Amino acid sequence: MSSYLPVLVLFVLAVAFGLLSLLVSITLSPKARSQAKEAPYECGIVPGREAPERFPVKFFLVAMIFIVFDIEIIFFFPWAVVFRELGGYGLAVIGIFAALVFESFVYLIGNGALEWGPRQRQRRAEIVSPDRTLTSTIRRVGAEGRPAALEPAALAPAAHHAPGHGDHGHGDHGAAA
Amino acid sequence: MSSLAAVLAQAAPGLTAGPAAAAPTPTITVPDIEWTALLPILVLGLGAVLLLTLTSLARGTVTRSGYAIYTVLVATGAMATAAPLWGRVHAWDHLGKWELSPPYGPFSAVAGAIGVDGFSVFITLLIGVAVILGALLADDYLRREGIDGPEYYVLLLLSATGGVIMAMANDLIVLFLGLETLSIAVYVLAAIHLKRVQSQEAGLKYFVLGGFSSAFFLYGVAMVYGATGSTNLVQIKDLLAVKVPTHNALLLIGLGLMLVGLGFKVAAVPFHSWSPDVYDGAPSPVAAFMASGVKAAGFAGLTRAFLLGFGQFASDWQPVLYFLAAASMLVGAIVGITQTNVKRALAYSSINHAGFMLMALQAASPKGVTGLLFYLATYTFMTVGSFGIATLAGRTGDGHHDLADYRGFSRTNPALAGLFVLFLLGQSGFPLTSGFVAKFGSIAAAVDAGSWHLAVIGMVSAAISAFIYLRIIVAMYMAESDTEAAEKAPKAARIKVPFGAGLALVACALATIGFGILPNGLNRVAGEAEPVLVKEPVPAAASGADGAGLTGLDLTTIPTTPTTR
Repeated sequence: MSSYLPVLVLFVLAVAFGLLSLLVSITLSPKARSQAKEAPYECGIVPGREAPERFPVKFFLVAMIFIVFDIEIIFFFPWAVVFRELGGYGLAVIGIFAALVFESFVYLIGNGALEWGPRQRQRRAEIVSPDRTLTSTIRRVGAEGRPAALEPAALAPAAHHAPGHGDHGHGDHGAAA
Repeated sequence: MSSLAAVLAQAAPGLTAGPAAAAPTPTITVPDIEWTALLPILVLGLGAVLLLTLTSLARGTVTRSGYAIYTVLVATGAMATAAPLWGRVHAWDHLGKWELSPPYGPFSAVAGAIGVDGFSVFITLLIGVAVILGALLADDYLRREGIDGPEYYVLLLLSATGGVIMAMANDLIVLFLGLETLSIAVYVLAAIHLKRVQSQEAGLKYFVLGGFSSAFFLYGVAMVYGATGSTNLVQIKDLLAVKVPTHNALLLIGLGLMLVGLGFKVAAVPFHSWSPDVYDGAPSPVAAFMASGVKAAGFAGLTRAFLLGFGQFASDWQPVLYFLAAASMLVGAIVGITQTNVKRALAYSSINHAGFMLMALQAASPKGVTGLLFYLATYTFMTVGSFGIATLAGRTGDGHHDLADYRGFSRTNPALAGLFVLFLLGQSGFPLTSGFVAKFGSIAAAVDAGSWHLAVIGMVSAAISAFIYLRIIVAMYMAESDTEAAEKAPKAARIKVPFGAGLALVACALATIGFGILPNGLNRVAGEAEPVLVKEPVPAAASGADGAGLTGLDLTTIPTTPTTR
């Protein structure tokens, strides 16, 4: 246990130094309280709006990808130090490790983590009906009330799809064939 | 180890002491790797990575149920690679047509980090079964909930990899590695239902509490290392056999902290508070895997660390396990009967079962291990079956788990209700089901070890917990359905059982009845699956200058008073 004594001493010194600094600044510093002084950022321009702001979630994803590389580099350092001693075995091991880390990168890119711009819907939808074509689904203005013989025959099965379906339906319906 | 020591020695020569570090030009001995011993781990892990890579590169090309079929194949492959290990451990010279390579008998590999014995192979097979059942249950579920994708299956396989590592760990660090691989995947699995806020909540809760428990475990490992100078279970055991540490407290604190970490994973009572919330919130197939695979891995870790590594300290940890077992059995049973949510009730019943398994483990005898393994094997099928019914009965949205939702279930879904009754009776320990034999084995082991009171507590808790199951059965069979429509037209409310889930349920039912009527086969296998610690046979190449640090234990390198290090 005695070998841990320096650690303990260092710990006590660190705490003491922190406390001492606080104490000195509280007792010796001149006080001039004002609203500007109490503001979170005392210097510079007075904040005009709230700091929290909406930002695209893509930034978060990029940060996550960065962390993946960061962690990888952290593990590379100790390996690089004993690179010669470890030889081929070390190279193989770090290669496997790097491959596994890059695998996560493949997954991220494969799932569109680096695709910027408006989000494209990649919903895999079942094909609604093989009868549905462009002519059968588009509703023609003024078609109501005309004789049924004039209507396209395939309109009936698709009738329950309300107008406005085209608004949110621009996914790739036919992709799941 | 020695590479780190070399680095430290270069940086500051005063920091480390010892023969290995004092050498001016350190050579790092590369461990001899027995690949066949690692095959189950490699098949599961590489299978997961391969699935993730392939589906990332070629999205949208996987056919219906493709992920589940792939996962079942990978798990079957891992079990197939574990089978020759079982043969080698039991000194068979051939398995079918294949000649098995020596050394026969239990062995340790990768510089003593991995131990292959009957116990680890048994748990490996059990985890493989849990993965297969989990994949079968999830296949239709994920499509039903609109969250189909490779992620669930990848995480399932990775988590199983961790479980197998835990089952084979001969080193506390390796055990921790397995624990983390297992846990991190399951944290994500619990939160995988993106459309259910309860699932997200469950994932977060499990993650935060699980992170704490992992930290406890790691701190315990550090304490044990401080007390014994090693994290390798073989070296620790050999050291403790030669000399009892003078500063016992450090070791005991370490053991206690490790017990906290592992007790959390198996949901033993003071550390159980997460489990009802998480089982309820997590997707039902995930809950099935958590109750079967994760629990098996947790008990494997407990057995390896405590029974194998610290067998000499049994008189110190037995009372603690005694308390945990008693508390788990009683709290699980008593709190369980007040639950009105079926999944929460199953979670408390799972806590109760964990108590029974702890009771078998605290006997610290071969009979106790046999009882534990038999219990784990039969419980896997019963709990996966129960959660499988809950998966189907939860319907789209996975939200119909109230006891009220099961009213009249026998009339709308007679087959599912019948299976559920079987699984529930099995869990309550009804004769002619596997649960009865399992509970009997656990109680018998406790009685043999002289823990009469614990055995009595176990029997009382079994009687109390029967009420949990009867309550569900009564709701299914004797209560009128809430909606009159369902009463009038029971067939309209019938749940269509998908093929995969049906297969899993039938397999679970057959196992529950089969091991109940003919338990001898499984009991014999569980009896042969004894955990053993084997010292690594020193390879000829590594037995030279610096081999001692990595391979067999050289007692002279361990200081006599370890705490002065």
